[in-house]
Amino acid sequence: MMKRLSKLLAWWPVEKAIRVACVLGLLTLALMVAGVILGTPLWVVASMSIAQGLGVAAGLLFAFSVAADAIGKSPKAP
Amino acid sequence: MEHAANAVGGLALATAAISAALLIHHLIARPPLTPNTRLRLLLGLGVFPFLTAVSTTASGMHRTTERDFCGSCHVMITHLEDVENPTSPSLASRHARNPMFGGAACYTCHADYSMFGYPLTKLTGVNHVYQYYLNGYRNWSLDRFHAEIRTAKPYPNANCLQCHSGTLSSFTKTAEHRAMAEELAQNRVSCASGGCHGVAHPFSKRPEEL
Repeated sequence: MMKRLSKLLAWWPVEKAIRVACVLGLLTLALMVAGVILGTPLWVVASMSIAQGLGVAAGLLFAFSVAADAIGKSPKAP
Repeated sequence: MEHAANAVGGLALATAAISAALLIHHLIARPPLTPNTRLRLLLGLGVFPFLTAVSTTASGMHRTTERDFCGSCHVMITHLEDVENPTSPSLASRHARNPMFGGAACYTCHADYSMFGYPLTKLTGVNHVYQYYLNGYRNWSLDRFHAEIRTAKPYPNANCLQCHSGTLSSFTKTAEHRAMAEELAQNRVSCASGGCHGVAHPFSKRPEEL
């Protein structure tokens, strides 16, 4: 399990994943703002459900990318 | 309450704008992943979106209690028109004219007040959204809606008793209340039924239901 995780972290395309997280984050914010501004049932429900799911995904993607970057840059054991 | 809701909505927009600026800057400038960049991304993807999520949830929850929100589906138009009519004699309209109900009249009467009343009321609301957008209610005519749709469960008398005391002498000395005390307590007879205080939305009922 740990071996697989470190393999995944070593392979992880950090820059690309962070850009995807940024795009997901912008989508999240747009949905949340639409819920506040439009205030119709569908947008309000979307802003409190889909948007929060996307936001969590963006946050996790960012956290995983930072972890992958930190591990990739850490000095290898002899 | 209205001012607080506006302030929360404003906070949501402000934090979303800051967060969006940080993310757009990252996408355009594509800076190297230095500790400073990570900190900016943490603010743009973590801290500010979290604040946006909390404030949009608070603002959204408040929005769902507003009368025009409930009336924004066309099948609710006649309900909204009735409660907004200052001369309507219906039970719903008379309550909506009370400033304590006012803009949140639908929610104040239809929300359940037990321990899990708030989340269960919200879940029921989500079911209404589902029925409207995905289960065909959107395409129903008002006549069909009035003829076929009824409340999912009998209106709980406990909701009336949130405001109207059931222990004051004006209540307990009323002969009808005394005679039907058990039926009222067990919700077998509704306060809002024909012959008692009248149905809340009479225009949506068949003559035999009044």
